[in-house]
Amino acid sequence: MSHFFAAISLILAGGLVSLVSARHHLFSRAGATLLISAGCVWGLAAAVTTLMGSVTHSVSFQYLNLFFLAFEMDTLSAFFLAVIFLVCLMAAVYSFHYTQDAAAPVKTAVTAFFFSILVVSMALVVTAANIITFMLSWEIMSLSSFFLVIHDYRKKENRYAGYLYFVFSHVGAMFIFAGFGIFYKYTGSFGFTDVHTLTEGAKILAFVLFFIGFGSKAGVFPFHVWLPHAHPAAPSHISAVMSGVMIKTGIYGILRIYSLLELPAPAFGYLVVTAGVVSGILGVVYALGQTDIKRLLAYSSVENIGIILIGMGLGMVGVASRNPVMAVLGFSGALFHVLNHALFKSLLFMGAGMVVHQTGTRSMDALGGLLKSMKITGFAFIIGSLAICGLPPFNGFAGEFVVYLGGFQGIALDKIPFAVSVAAIIGLAVIGGLALACFTRVLGIVFQGEPRTEAARNRTESGTTMLWAMGGLGTACVIIGVFPGWFFNLSLSAVSALNLGYARIPVAPFAQITGHITLGAFVIVLLVLGMAGLRSWFYRAKPISRSGTWGCGFTRPTPKMQYTGASYAFEMVRFFRPAAPIEEQHPPVAGRFPASTRYESRVHDIAERCMAPGVIRPVQFLFDRLRWIQHGDIHLYIGYILLAIVLLLFFI
Amino acid sequence: MFESIVLWLAAVFTAPFFSAVILKVKAFFGGKKGPPLLINYYTLIKLFKKGSVYSVSTTPVFKMGPVVSCAAALAALLFLPLAGHMPVISFNGDVIFVLYLLGLGRFFTIAAAMDTASPFEGMGAAREAFFPIICEAAMFMILIFFYRLTGELSFAAYFSGTGTLGLWQIAGPSLLFIVIAFFIILVTETSRVPVDDPATHLELTMIHEVMVLDHSGPDFALIELGSFCKLFFYAAILSGLILPFETGIPGAGILVFIAGLVIVYLVVGIIESTIARYRMDKVPQFVLTSFALAFFATIITLELIQ
Repeated sequence: MSHFFAAISLILAGGLVSLVSARHHLFSRAGATLLISAGCVWGLAAAVTTLMGSVTHSVSFQYLNLFFLAFEMDTLSAFFLAVIFLVCLMAAVYSFHYTQDAAAPVKTAVTAFFFSILVVSMALVVTAANIITFMLSWEIMSLSSFFLVIHDYRKKENRYAGYLYFVFSHVGAMFIFAGFGIFYKYTGSFGFTDVHTLTEGAKILAFVLFFIGFGSKAGVFPFHVWLPHAHPAAPSHISAVMSGVMIKTGIYGILRIYSLLELPAPAFGYLVVTAGVVSGILGVVYALGQTDIKRLLAYSSVENIGIILIGMGLGMVGVASRNPVMAVLGFSGALFHVLNHALFKSLLFMGAGMVVHQTGTRSMDALGGLLKSMKITGFAFIIGSLAICGLPPFNGFAGEFVVYLGGFQGIALDKIPFAVSVAAIIGLAVIGGLALACFTRVLGIVFQGEPRTEAARNRTESGTTMLWAMGGLGTACVIIGVFPGWFFNLSLSAVSALNLGYARIPVAPFAQITGHITLGAFVIVLLVLGMAGLRSWFYRAKPISRSGTWGCGFTRPTPKMQYTGASYAFEMVRFFRPAAPIEEQHPPVAGRFPASTRYESRVHDIAERCMAPGVIRPVQFLFDRLRWIQHGDIHLYIGYILLAIVLLLFFI
Repeated sequence: MFESIVLWLAAVFTAPFFSAVILKVKAFFGGKKGPPLLINYYTLIKLFKKGSVYSVSTTPVFKMGPVVSCAAALAALLFLPLAGHMPVISFNGDVIFVLYLLGLGRFFTIAAAMDTASPFEGMGAAREAFFPIICEAAMFMILIFFYRLTGELSFAAYFSGTGTLGLWQIAGPSLLFIVIAFFIILVTETSRVPVDDPATHLELTMIHEVMVLDHSGPDFALIELGSFCKLFFYAAILSGLILPFETGIPGAGILVFIAGLVIVYLVVGIIESTIARYRMDKVPQFVLTSFALAFFATIITLELIQ
């Protein structure tokens, strides 16, 4: 545990150094990057040793003479810590060149400061061992990321995004508080140890409260509304951290609560799988409908959270139906996907960050042809896309494959578990197909073809550390995809902390699975290399020339004629129109000499649409009626306080 | 092992021949003589001899497209038992692996098409991205059905050795639904009428063919070879389902298998000759039928097994 705290102090020191030396721009950035990444490396090492040794460390400090701040690092915490430190390390490296802005050195320093706090608070959240510590870290995490979201506070939409995020993270925190309230009511202590003594009804109620609270952090449909607004607003390395790891603290929370409750109720599994399938499919459908590249990636996080939930839910169904193999496959698949998603999503956000940095636009339909001038970014983005589509031999496939195997275990069961497993498998298949469509679209519109506007013409990439970070993450995606064995064992080790009641998880059958993935990956790589060799053999000493694209007889093509992102996705989104209404604006062409017309389409998020009339307006109405309470008269307020104290005295 | 590799090579080399059967059938229905049965080999050889013209808009991804899509189709055949023999490679879950492998091929085909900056190729790519989503769902429904019957997740368990799946066994009636569902998947995945028309000449209505418009020479030959192998892959599965006979006589298994293949290709040819391509917006409904059929088959089997 001392290594953990040393790492955290180093990271905090990085933030402070940057803040103190804000006037010396280069020194401030370099100090922050060096100290934060050194801290992350240290923390990563500590987490991985804990994971491999399967030991539990714990420590507690007295706080305000009343409470204890207790921390505990078991293998589940260590797994999440490893993911957090790994991604934050890459983000810190990336930030060195990304935040280079001599015009606003203080702003950069403040961002670095809040970034260090965010990293530390995330690490504390996953190690917190009592209610006080957990809520304290949780709130620090939400607040520090709020300040990062409003980094570019001069833009109105960013302030709106920050406001939305603030509201959602605190409503979510309220649900979590309510859940902890139930815990405290029954156990009478702030610790987590006696939680399994709750009555069954209390456990179910608490789980539902926690699921809503943590789900809103994780971005589970329909509590994901803040996510597509907040993630694009933050600087790209922060988006990478928020999307890659911060939302996973919600997943950690659900898992932790599930293991604390020790109630193998099948209903938990059904709830989680249903939420997973819905978030997964709708997340990717909305992603398909986006025109803003970072918003698209944010929606795709909703989708991946869906996949993780499907895995977790299958695990819970497995526990409830006493099928240990299914349980372990489900949970470990979900955890493995947590790691994989953290890697490829931060890679994609960093790639998008490079594009936005160099072109100054986030609109995909204004870009195009970037692969020719931004080779490293482009190929890193291709690797990220292949990984996020879950295609072999990349890491996304390895995670989904394990979840699939878990799902098929459930097919042998009966009645509801069978139906849930069918939903999970078909959901995963549809998600996979849609993700492929979604990311070929990004790739095709942004990186391939011809530049559509001046913004995208002749843009080169810059920033060595940005390229290094992307290169590192891309390599990790390939290595895990080809050799998932060691990494998968880490997630197996994390599952052993879940209190499933299986003394030791036999590793052999699972080692076989990863061995098969490696074998398959080798087959692909060999065949692709073979075909590439064959191809170059056929092309030796052949006439090869370059010419324009075949325009089907049309001789004057312009880049404007290319297929756009909206048209690429139109048919697919229309297929899901009840959940993804498309709004089109297209003044009809009229008269003999028609004036120029325009076409605009927008895909609406049904959760956002229903949230306004269903939740926000009633609440606003209610509080409008209660406005007379807030009078503005200070005497009245003192009276309220007195009244409250008198009332409370009756309860003591 | 050696036998399996020989069978795999044989499959790769005979795939173009079987595709020519479709052309013959179509010619017969058109009252024509049609091209020789070896036409596809002639085409491949001709293409391999040629050079290429690349569009100035393209990047290296364009060249990777044919390589990866062909390699994916060849790799898929490695996992498939041919004529009841063990496949070259087999493991628990290889079915899922192969489906995603074909997805990898599709990713690169689409990426290569988007690379050309051509509006038509974008159109084809969008359709190629859309229809297989439903196919994939149907495919996994079929896998669920197979898993209910056999408790296994590998092609080897379904189609090689004894106790294989087949129309003439106890689950036969529900397998009939699966065969039809699978046929729809075959038609969609391999760009055949009524989903796509491989012989069409209007870019607006093409799917697969428009995506490969800009490829030429050996690149195009690899694409063609890949699509022959892909068709062979699906046809071989169907053949295994409709004629799952264990004769016991050495060599007879292969004859039965080939007979099954010829039946599948004949049916594809007959369908191509007798019906027209559907309107593009009707295609999703057609493909969804396969999902519905597989779903019904699974529900029926639930009762049957208990």
